[in-house]
Amino acid sequence: MKNIIYSIKKYKFLLFQLVSRDFKVKYKRSVLGIIWSLLYPLLTMSVLALVFTQMFRMSNNPDVNYLVYLMSGLVIFNYFSEASNLAMSSVVGNFSLINKVYIPKYIFPLSKCLFVGINFLLTLIPLYAIIFLTGTGININHLLLPFAFICLFMFTLGVGFILSTISVFLRDMFYIYGVVITLLMYMTPIMYDLSIVPENLQLLFKFNPLYWFIYFSRDIILYNQIPAINVWIYCLIFGLGTLLIGMFVFKKNQDKFIYYV
Amino acid sequence: MKQEDMMINLENVSMRFNLGIEKGFSLKQGFINMFDPKKRKAKKELKKKNEFWALKDVSFKIKRGEVVGFIGSNGAGKSTLLKVVAGVMKPTKGKVNAYGNICPMIELGAGFDPQLTARENIYLDGAVMGYSKELIDSKFDEIVDFAELRDFLDVPVQNFSSGMVARLAFSIATIVEPEILIVDEILSVGDIAFQAKSEAKMMDMIMGGTTVLYVSHTLESIKKLCDKVVWLDHGKIRKIGGKELCDEYFKECNI
Repeated sequence: MKNIIYSIKKYKFLLFQLVSRDFKVKYKRSVLGIIWSLLYPLLTMSVLALVFTQMFRMSNNPDVNYLVYLMSGLVIFNYFSEASNLAMSSVVGNFSLINKVYIPKYIFPLSKCLFVGINFLLTLIPLYAIIFLTGTGININHLLLPFAFICLFMFTLGVGFILSTISVFLRDMFYIYGVVITLLMYMTPIMYDLSIVPENLQLLFKFNPLYWFIYFSRDIILYNQIPAINVWIYCLIFGLGTLLIGMFVFKKNQDKFIYYV
Repeated sequence: MKQEDMMINLENVSMRFNLGIEKGFSLKQGFINMFDPKKRKAKKELKKKNEFWALKDVSFKIKRGEVVGFIGSNGAGKSTLLKVVAGVMKPTKGKVNAYGNICPMIELGAGFDPQLTARENIYLDGAVMGYSKELIDSKFDEIVDFAELRDFLDVPVQNFSSGMVARLAFSIATIVEPEILIVDEILSVGDIAFQAKSEAKMMDMIMGGTTVLYVSHTLESIKKLCDKVVWLDHGKIRKIGGKELCDEYFKECNI
């Protein structure tokens, strides 16, 4: 543990440089630049809202605003999807670097999760814009939201460690994960409510950690209430547990990476 | 040898590589082979054949301030050895201890991102080399002046000529005063004028009293610079000695 903190201190500057590199490269030569970070989730939300309110009518709680419902799920799922994807390819993508200089390898998945994390914070702006525009309003409980976000970050980083390790040994993982993430998107209640899922399947859906992070956020944003204690516990277990497993898997295998260049 | 004088200590270092021979593999065949002891044995043998020991049981100690040259034919394990000392690779067996900060001049400009400007790349590549922000801030002008690229600071590196990229990379790599300097061939990059300048700078660094590990095929420069010579042959140490090893090596190569 002491080692980890020392190492993060030592490589803080490199981490900062890698994250800022990603930012600079991402918006290079695009006219709207960083505005895309705000616009993109809004546009996706609009598409989904159009499809699911006009074409397929989703049975939804009439007390809550569907746009806010969509947006709160979407922002969280998009973070996970993008960050885990980038983290997965971060080690393989930086092989040329790993082969030439000594850099702790965990820095690559970590920098990707942080980079998308900053993007995530930007997408909170359109989320809150929707919250205000639809008249949903905010309350003091919103101060509890960072807990869900930290758990989400830990979970994503853990998954990123595991995926980046597997993809070194098995490049097929890039294709497999594309399918997995599609499946996960439909198994996460982003555009529908869990109550429309057949009851015998609901338990399965509850094993999805993302469900709990979204549940936690929606409890606060939509229903103005402090999440029940078991929701807190699930979030923490899924977040911290996955991170620890991921760190273990990564640490155990990182010295072998160099043979699979 | 006294403990405080020791800079680098290698104990029985071995390094194994996978040759990466492509072999046909199918799930069906793999499944069948699982139950056939003969085939399983064959697979094990194939795995052994597929292995390549780039370094075998290499041990030596290097004292503070020594300039050590490494000679040997292509594939003798010289570059692998430097990478093991630099910490890029962890040896399959054995122990490596280096006491002091290392400047590996093995591959320059590893951290460059072609889409970023020269200014941004100085910070990025510097961070990859392990420099702190303060160090780069204080040496920024020195880097730019040495590379002679002040007019191109805000141009993306992908628009540079290869000589300009090499000049920038060289200037970033050589601003530190390391305790251990690892050099894979003396780099002289850029046009004729810059070549002379970069060579002079490298000589300065090597002669400046630091501990140096130096790989070269130019026996003349090894003779000129090194106090100690290590002769590697097929991953093993053939001989450790003084400059006279160069002549011996040269004689053997000429047969």
